[in-house]
Amino acid sequence: MTRHVTRPRLIAASFGLLALVIFAVPPGSATPPVERRVEIDATQFEFAPGRIVVNRGDHVTIHLTASDVVHGFYLDGYGFEQRVEPGVAQELAFVADRAGKFRYRCAVPCGPLHPFMIGELVVNANTPYWRAIGVVFSAAAGMLIFLWQAGKTESLEENTHETQPRF
Amino acid sequence: MKQRELLALFALGLILLGLPLAVLGYQYWLRPALSPNRIIDIAARVPEQAGFAPDAIRVAVGETVTLRFASMDVTHGVAIGPGLGVDLGPIDPGQVKEITLSFDHPGIYTYYCTTWCSPDHWRMRGTIQVSDPANPDVVPAAQPDRVIEALIAEGIDIDAAHTPPAEHADISILAFQPSAQRGELVIAGGLDVPAELRDPVWRQSHTPAQALELLTGQNPATSERDRLDAIAYLWTQDTADEALATGKRFYNQNCAACHGQSGGGDGPAAATTAEEPVAFSDPGYMFERRSDVLYAKIRRGGMGTGMPNFGTLFTPEETWALVRYLWTLTFGTPPRTHTG
Repeated sequence: MTRHVTRPRLIAASFGLLALVIFAVPPGSATPPVERRVEIDATQFEFAPGRIVVNRGDHVTIHLTASDVVHGFYLDGYGFEQRVEPGVAQELAFVADRAGKFRYRCAVPCGPLHPFMIGELVVNANTPYWRAIGVVFSAAAGMLIFLWQAGKTESLEENTHETQPRF
Repeated sequence: MKQRELLALFALGLILLGLPLAVLGYQYWLRPALSPNRIIDIAARVPEQAGFAPDAIRVAVGETVTLRFASMDVTHGVAIGPGLGVDLGPIDPGQVKEITLSFDHPGIYTYYCTTWCSPDHWRMRGTIQVSDPANPDVVPAAQPDRVIEALIAEGIDIDAAHTPPAEHADISILAFQPSAQRGELVIAGGLDVPAELRDPVWRQSHTPAQALELLTGQNPATSERDRLDAIAYLWTQDTADEALATGKRFYNQNCAACHGQSGGGDGPAAATTAEEPVAFSDPGYMFERRSDVLYAKIRRGGMGTGMPNFGTLFTPEETWALVRYLWTLTFGTPPRTHTG
């Protein structure tokens, strides 16, 4: 049995293609990856700054210092850990290739409130605004047309195949 | 029913009494009984909470002891000196690190914290007194330090104020950082270096400013920058790679918290000291310093400045390694194309 392409499928597929094309176009207005140098100072019981915001694809270098006792830096999601002693700075370089919000926490027991020594790294998805809107609208339009056409065909089929009288 | 109650009571007793007894019994009776040598448990707390407990240990010559260091609050580090080469590294809270030692000669050794742990971190020290079993009450005498004695005989005030003398104020060394790398090229390019400047012993007891005067007298036509770079090169020449690595390790463990990792005098603990920590990366300061005075300051400490003494922790060789590392903070890493 050959599977012939129905009209609603064709329309939906073309809209899907459009969404893909929009997505695949080089992100002209997206912020290009930049080098970011962040200085984080760890003290009892906080990181300063406690929140870092970067874009996906950025090359992030964290210059880590400790001011009172030995602290650690563990970044959830990326999964790396670094000890830091007061006076001896450490550098962590990585590419923020995962979007989302990730906690960084102290990895060396540093005192009574050590479990609460948490900060967060926000990696923005770095999708340009117009592209996000284009993808959402073309997907929504494709979906609506598909449903509308499919509904038309189905009701047609129902009408054609209905031989039994209804009660 | 009666029997079951007795059984429950027995189980309760086992939990409430048996468990602590087993733990403490192992700690204080079973382990010492099984160990072939004496075990000393040392608890490490920040100095505000009394530092090491105990902070004085007496050992006889030839006796083997096991020291077990446990950290009770924040991360500490333990090393024992001088000259034992014992560095247990960082000890996190809850961690226990042990070392078994025996001593051949009477003497006094110091175990000390190697990680900045509180504003009073440098007070965190304990002593091991190794005494002769024949006369255990004799306190081993400290070895006199020839370099410091020579300085005192010379009439040098080790605690003199840090301000540079006025006659060198016109040196434009603050305009740029003298570079040992460039100095090598200058000397290879035919700069006439006086014989004294080639002598490591002379360099040890003279300041770069004095060397500059000699060099200028010999080479009046050269640029000041060339002369300063040449001095930077000469002053970083006495360093073997291993000594430099030792110096760097000791510096990062013991000095960086106040003096800063790259010698800027800007470590995180700089604000806690009585006097501002000096900046070794400042050529204006270092041009007026003598290596042997720096050595003496490290070993003896700075009176009233907050600079602790390290003479009881390091051997003279280790102290020299540290001094040589200090010069590289001023003048950069010595070129490694040839030695001497």
